[in-house]
Amino acid sequence: MMNQFAMTGIHISLGAETLFTVAGFPITNALVLGAIGLVIFLSIFLYVAGMIKRGKYNRFVGLVQWAFEGMLSAVDSVVPDKVVARKIAPLSLTIFFFVLISYWLSVIPGLGSITYNGFPIFRSLAADLNFTLAIMIITMVMVQVYAIRRHGVFGNIGRYLRNPFKDPLGAFEGFLELIGEVSRGLSLSLRLFGNCFAGEVLLLIIAVLTSYFSIATLPFFMAFELFIGLVQAYVFFILSLIFTSLAIDIHGGTVPEPDHTAIPTDHSPSAHLAEPAVAVRE
Amino acid sequence: MTIFTQFAETGAQSHGILGALGIDIKMLIFQIVAFIILVWFCGKYIYPIFMKTIDARQDAIEAGTKAAVEAERKAAEAKAEITKLMKQARADASEIVVTAKEEATAALEAAEAKSKNQAERIVAEAHAQLDKDILAAKKMLHNETLELVALATEKVIGKTVTAKVDSGVIASAVKEAL
Repeated sequence: MMNQFAMTGIHISLGAETLFTVAGFPITNALVLGAIGLVIFLSIFLYVAGMIKRGKYNRFVGLVQWAFEGMLSAVDSVVPDKVVARKIAPLSLTIFFFVLISYWLSVIPGLGSITYNGFPIFRSLAADLNFTLAIMIITMVMVQVYAIRRHGVFGNIGRYLRNPFKDPLGAFEGFLELIGEVSRGLSLSLRLFGNCFAGEVLLLIIAVLTSYFSIATLPFFMAFELFIGLVQAYVFFILSLIFTSLAIDIHGGTVPEPDHTAIPTDHSPSAHLAEPAVAVRE
Repeated sequence: MTIFTQFAETGAQSHGILGALGIDIKMLIFQIVAFIILVWFCGKYIYPIFMKTIDARQDAIEAGTKAAVEAERKAAEAKAEITKLMKQARADASEIVVTAKEEATAALEAAEAKSKNQAERIVAEAHAQLDKDILAAKKMLHNETLELVALATEKVIGKTVTAKVDSGVIASAVKEAL
């Protein structure tokens, strides 16, 4: 089968390919689709914000408002402190909506067939490790910032480093917490990258395997990819909130797990998808 | 497997494991900065508009709920007050009816007594007047009779008689007349 793929000339690359450089800075195919995604993202939100400001509503505005309200209520329910929740919300909401748009853009039919210098011009930004690592780093840094604000610098360090002679179990726990922070971040970014990359490869392989019948088979896989995109964006969003919630929690305190069934005002379709989402491709 | 070994070889030849995964430090920093700017822009100019609307709606819902609860409480109070007032009104009405009946009975009795007294007084006055009229008629008749007797006597006798004759004549005349 692998030989068959090789004969068909499928081009699969883990990293985004550089199309050209501007002043030594590489412009990759992921960056191109990311820029398009950014334009779409800003267009949608600026349009809806403008309409809301003018007091004009239509179905699209209602849909975006509904989605936004659902995600905001999820933020409020996961982070108990409302002030902190409202500070975290911009980052979490931007991650969700931008990742969702970037992911969904990769499902557009025929996107991979547009090439330049032998490389596809468009590649999902979420299938570029640079992007997933970037939002992971921002998230983890913000988590630490909120933790320092809550516990103080030494209080936050104390979460990880404890005197092994006084509290050997606590010291070990702190060491595990430190490893946990790193692994959480890595899994956060690699999960999104892996899912998006695998989705693109899956669509490519299905197209090759089914050949002319791909016109009938691909829509199902595309719909599946749209669903996975929604799930992954929500997973990244909700996990970033949970990490923040864990970090700002007082030592030994109880951190509420994201009880998705207890979000009565969250009517977003992604509200109950966190658990199956993790299981889909892990 | 060819694909994977191909990836590994490419990575090893170019920029190591990071290069094989497509990680570029310059690109990473660029993406971090770009995403921070995006988050800042959205947090500053876009999301507050959404949040303001949501908060306003939430406040309106909360205010509506509070108003509904308050209205419900006031309705219950008003209902209790109405029941109390109705009870009081019924009691007052019963008392008024009883008093009115008593007063009406008393007024009727008083009117009856007054009418009876007045009728008795009128009858008594009528009887007294009748007696007076009878006496007056008798007296008048007596006087007229006397005058007639005197006239008749004068005509019959034609002369003045003594008191003794007069008395005898008169007596006989009266006797005859009667």
